[in-house]
Amino acid sequence: MKDKDLRKIRQQIDEIDSKLVYLFNQRAEIVLELAKEKVRMGKKLFDPARERDIFVHVTDMNPGPLAPEAIVRLFERLIDESRRLERTEVYDKEEGK
Amino acid sequence: MIIIMEQNATTEQVQHVMERLLEHDFDVHRSTGASQLVLGVVGDTQSVDPRDYELLEGVHEVIRISEPYKLASRTFKPQDTIVKVGDATFGGKKVGMIAGPCSIESREQIRKIAKFVKASGTKVLRGGAYKPRSSPYSFQGMGEEGLKYLREAGDENGLAVVSEVMDRVDIIPALKYVDLIQVGARNMQNFALLKELGKVDKPILLKRGMSVTLKELLMAAEYIMAGGNHNVILCERGIRTFENYTRNTLDISAIPVLHKLTHLPVVSDPSHGIGIRDKVAPMARASVAAGADGLIIEIHYDPDNALSDGAQTLFFEQYEQLVKEISMIAKAVGRTV
Repeated sequence: MKDKDLRKIRQQIDEIDSKLVYLFNQRAEIVLELAKEKVRMGKKLFDPARERDIFVHVTDMNPGPLAPEAIVRLFERLIDESRRLERTEVYDKEEGK
Repeated sequence: MIIIMEQNATTEQVQHVMERLLEHDFDVHRSTGASQLVLGVVGDTQSVDPRDYELLEGVHEVIRISEPYKLASRTFKPQDTIVKVGDATFGGKKVGMIAGPCSIESREQIRKIAKFVKASGTKVLRGGAYKPRSSPYSFQGMGEEGLKYLREAGDENGLAVVSEVMDRVDIIPALKYVDLIQVGARNMQNFALLKELGKVDKPILLKRGMSVTLKELLMAAEYIMAGGNHNVILCERGIRTFENYTRNTLDISAIPVLHKLTHLPVVSDPSHGIGIRDKVAPMARASVAAGADGLIIEIHYDPDNALSDGAQTLFFEQYEQLVKEISMIAKAVGRTV
């Protein structure tokens, strides 16, 4: 493979990454909206049942080549970061921390 | 902090641990391995007792990454702390020397020794007034009267003075007379005393207990520092090992290890560290070669008739010779005496 081809593929990766960053943040905006609603309804920050549903959903629709375990690991991190955002931006503020 | 879950930990057990962490305002990073789940705990875990989590069902092991001491740690303050005691400094380029008798025995005794200390070029005079002796029938020290003589002998010769306090009630007289307050090996985990010393405006010489780990020594320093007194000098003075030829085993390795872990100066007390007169000088030389920021040496004009620890006390001539040797070793490791 020539350097030029390598550059072209890397460019594609960069484009996908840009989309991912956009989507991560779009997801985060919605997560924050949800967090406010959860606080209003007196629901806890950590909802393991809902997290499990997410893992089932994303592995069910996973076409590969990533293994389902890999998809779970990626989403674990995404959810961990979302929970952190919910805590710092919504829950802590509600509790006056 | 990292929590490693058991291989067969159930989803409920993992949830319980996570809920507990979140209740305590920690963020959790899960990492699912081939057989085990690892939880990365993000936040200020300094005050957490790992056992609180180790006891939870499904937890295999809890590993602390950050040290439980903060103010004493080099991560917190990368630059070396230099503690000034009279004209001497500990923690800088110079190797600070402290010399004097184990106990202050009389006005004449401490004056005579102070005169010699001055002549040897050493800037700090030691002398015990409150003695933590292994036997209640041994000489217990002169108390406040001894401190007065120590101060007087120091002033006559332009020397700073150091003496040990054993109890909180000794602090008030000590503040009146001494420039550096010593906490002895038998007392260095007396946390009530350490807390009080955190409030005083004098540097503290904190000795390592004979069965105390370096982490425990640093936690003791943290007690003093948490009270606001950051001028702490750590002292290696020998630990108890299976070897009984020597009184203690001077842990030379503590010096470089402490230098890595903490910014506080580290001095060595080979007199107590080995407890046998003719072995004191080799241990003193080794300490300086290993990077000690200072030495504490027991000296007396008549060690054989000293009221305490004569066997580990150097004659004046031996001390003079030692200072010469130390100067050469200090030079070899980029320092001066």
